[in-house]
Amino acid sequence: MSINKLLPLGEAAQRYASDGIQYASGAGLPVGADAIAFGRELVRQGRRNLHALFHCNTQQLNLLAAAGTASKAEVGFSGLEGFGFANGLRRVVEEGKLALEDYSNLAMALRFLGGALNWPFVPATTCIGSDIQNRSAFAPEEYPATGKIPEIADPFSGRVLGAYSPLKPDLAVLHVTLADPEGNAIMIGSEWSRFELSRAAKRLVLVADHIVDTDCMRQYPNLVRIPGLIVDAVVWWPFSAWPAASPGVHDVDEAHMKLMNEWLATEEGTFRYIDRFIFSYQTVDAYLNLIGKDVISKLEDSPTRFLLDPYRKWILDRAKVEQLQAENHILKRAA
Amino acid sequence: MTTATAYAPTTERKGPLRYSRQEMMAIAAGREIKDGELAIFGVGLSLLAGYFAQEHHGPNIRSMTEGGIYGATPIGGLPWGIECDRLSANATSFTGGLDALGFLVASGRVDVGLIGAAQVDKFGNVNTTGIWDRARGQGLGDTYTPPKTRLTGAGGANDIASGAKRTVIMVTHEAKRFVDKVDYISSPGYLEGGDARERYGFVGGGPSAIVTTLGILRPHPETKEFWLDAYYPFSSVDDVRANTGWDLKVFRHARMIAPPTVAEVEALRRVDVTGMLRREK
Repeated sequence: MSINKLLPLGEAAQRYASDGIQYASGAGLPVGADAIAFGRELVRQGRRNLHALFHCNTQQLNLLAAAGTASKAEVGFSGLEGFGFANGLRRVVEEGKLALEDYSNLAMALRFLGGALNWPFVPATTCIGSDIQNRSAFAPEEYPATGKIPEIADPFSGRVLGAYSPLKPDLAVLHVTLADPEGNAIMIGSEWSRFELSRAAKRLVLVADHIVDTDCMRQYPNLVRIPGLIVDAVVWWPFSAWPAASPGVHDVDEAHMKLMNEWLATEEGTFRYIDRFIFSYQTVDAYLNLIGKDVISKLEDSPTRFLLDPYRKWILDRAKVEQLQAENHILKRAA
Repeated sequence: MTTATAYAPTTERKGPLRYSRQEMMAIAAGREIKDGELAIFGVGLSLLAGYFAQEHHGPNIRSMTEGGIYGATPIGGLPWGIECDRLSANATSFTGGLDALGFLVASGRVDVGLIGAAQVDKFGNVNTTGIWDRARGQGLGDTYTPPKTRLTGAGGANDIASGAKRTVIMVTHEAKRFVDKVDYISSPGYLEGGDARERYGFVGGGPSAIVTTLGILRPHPETKEFWLDAYYPFSSVDDVRANTGWDLKVFRHARMIAPPTVAEVEALRRVDVTGMLRREK
C-alpha cells in the first residue's frame, strides 16, 4: 500500500514554504517546465525574503523577483532564452533591490550534486579565471572575491582549481510530468538538474501535470528518476508550467510569455499582473478559465504530444485525484 | 536595410542571390563546423548556424544542446529555447545539464561550441552578464555594484568556453560590442592574452574565431589578440575596423570569403523557416 501524499497547491505552499528560506525551483529551463504555479502561490501568500536558488531563471523567478518575494538569488542563467531578458528580475537587480549571484549552468548542477552527496566542496574546472569567480554580489567589497569559488590545489597534480560550495536548499519544488500519489515521478523532456536537486533539498514538493496509477511506475521503473521515498508532497495542478512549456503536455504560450515579461518590467505592471493573473483565481477551474479554453486547446496541440502516449492509460481522472486529495490522512490530521 | 546583395557563384540561378548580414554570419559560422564533429549549440542564433551546418555539409555532425537534448532537428523555425517543443519533438535522448555540460563538455569530449556575446574584447573574452556605467570610469571598479543594464548571465557559455576543444563566437559587429576590455568576463577567451589560459589548465582550447555580421576575426598565434581574417562581399577592411572598438590589426592574408552559395542559403532557410535571420533589427 503506497502512501498518499497528494496535497492541494495552497496547502503545500503553506506547509512547506516560509519567509527567508532557501527556495529552489527553476530546475527546468526558462522555456521548459518549471513549477511556476507554485511561485504564484508564494506571491499570493505574501512570502518575503526568499533566497532563491534557480539553476536557470524562469518566469517563476522573474515573478518572485519583480514582486519582492525573493531578495537574493543564485543562478546560472538569468534570461528567458528566446524571449529575451527577464525584465522583472532585471529591474530589481539594476535597482539594487535583489542581490544576484552569478554562476554558470554547470556550476549550479555541480553545486546541487555536491549538496546531494554531502560533499564539503566540488572541484571546479569551469568559472575559474572569469569574473564569475572574481566578483561576488554577496561580498561586493571583495575584489577579487575569495569566498565564492576559492582557489584550491589538486592534491594529486598540484594544479590550481576552484571549489564550488554545495547547495542544500530548505525546499525544492519541482515540476514533473507524471507523479503517482506517493511521489514516484517521471519527467518528460530535459531533466535539467532535477535529479541532483531532488536529492540535495531538505524538503521536496512535486507539482505534476498528471497523477497516474502506481502501475505506470511499475511498467517504467527505469524512467522514474525521482522515487517517492524522497518526496514530501505531491501537488496536482494542470498547466502548472504555464506560460512555459511542458514537453508531452503543452507548448509554450508565446503571447503570455511576452505579456508577462512586459508587465513585470515595471512595478505598476507587476501589481497589475499579480491582480489579474494571481489574485483572480483560487481554484483549478478558475485558473484554467484564466488561461482560456482556446489557448489551452492550441497549446495542447503540441508537436511533442505523442511523448505522453505510452502513459495515458494510467492517468487518473480528476474526480479520482480530488478524492485522493480529500483522503490524505496528513491533511485530515491537520484539520 | 540589412539585406546585402551578392552574386551566386552557381549558374543555376540568374540574377542576384539576396541574403541578409545575419544570414551571412550564420553561414560563415556554420562553415566552421566540420562533418562528424561533436558540437554544442547555445541558445539563439547559434542554434540556426549549427543546424544549418548539419543540414548543408555535416550530416554526421553530432549535435547537442546544454539541456541534454540529443539527436534533434528543430521543426518550425528557431527554437524558443534549447529544450523547447520545436527541439523536443524529435530528440532521441533527453538527459540534463550535468550530462551535457559536465560529462560531455567539461570532460573535453566536445569538438566545437557555438556561443553568442553581448560584448567581446580583443582577447575573445565574452560578456553576457551586464553593462556597467562607463561614465564613472573603467566599467566595474573594485567594489561590485549592480550593472546599469543587466543581461542574461553566463548560462552554459562559460562551461563551453572553458571545456570545448574550440569555440566559435557569433556576434553582431558594432563598436559598442567590440571593446578593448569587457566590463565583465562571463566566459573566458584568452583572458589577458598570450598563454594566460594555461594558468587555469582549461580542458578546452579557447575561441578559434569570432564570426560577425561584417567578417571573421581569428586569434594571433602568439599574442592571442583577435585580428581580422576575412570580410564579406558587402563589407571591407575599413568597414570592420570602423566598427571595432580597439585598434584592430589585419592579417596579411585577410581576404573576402566566398559568398553564400544557393545551396547554403537554401539549407539555412530550411532551418530558419520563420526567417529570424531576415528580420530587420
